Amino acid sequence: MHGGGGVDRVFAALGDAGRRSLVEAVAERGSATATELAAELPVTRQAVAKQLGALADAGLLHATRAGRETRYEVTPEPLEGAVAWMVSVGAAWDERLASLRRSLAAGRRQA
Amino acid sequence: MQVEREIVVPESPDEVWEALTEPERLEEWFATEAELDARPGGEGVFRWGNGEERRAVVREAEEPERLVLDWDDGGETAIELAETDGGTRIHVVESSPEFATALGLRALACTAAAA
Repeated sequence: MHGGGGVDRVFAALGDAGRRSLVEAVAERGSATATELAAELPVTRQAVAKQLGALADAGLLHATRAGRETRYEVTPEPLEGAVAWMVSVGAAWDERLASLRRSLAAGRRQA
Repeated sequence: MQVEREIVVPESPDEVWEALTEPERLEEWFATEAELDARPGGEGVFRWGNGEERRAVVREAEEPERLVLDWDDGGETAIELAETDGGTRIHVVESSPEFATALGLRALACTAAAA
């Protein structure tokens, strides 16, 4: 499982609607370069390249050099780490609340 | 992103509040070792059998209704108690402020977790 810091970075990176739509656009194509995406989106190539770089830093995209361009693919692991955080924290609370219920019932019997 | 849980117990909010705030009671359900000064600004230290230790500061403590802890790792736990017919509804929300900007992803994450 990924650490909490990694999950934070993933969600910070995805907190921006423009970056989310870029991840979706890359996912739809399988892989894409900033030039390809800028041709279809109402933003400059420069802006797309910057956002793709931020997403790659957060671990959401994997970058490979292709000639003069950088080609990006979606890496699913960070999002799986975020989901794993939710599942493990949820499971911890299920256990704690079951113990709390028992503790309260025991306290009532002693009273 | 956050995790929410809710249970209803037959005890009164006052009884539940004791279990949430008294260290010896917290050791029965929350952690192996617990220290907590359940006043705003008070500190909490919790240790578990696996060596894990978490530290928190009490942000809100409104007896017997609402307890909010700020964890040193940036997370937050808010526990709310509401009196019901013959018992108490306990509502827990654990979240991390860094995730707050990505609340739109909650649905996505929930869907993926359920899949």
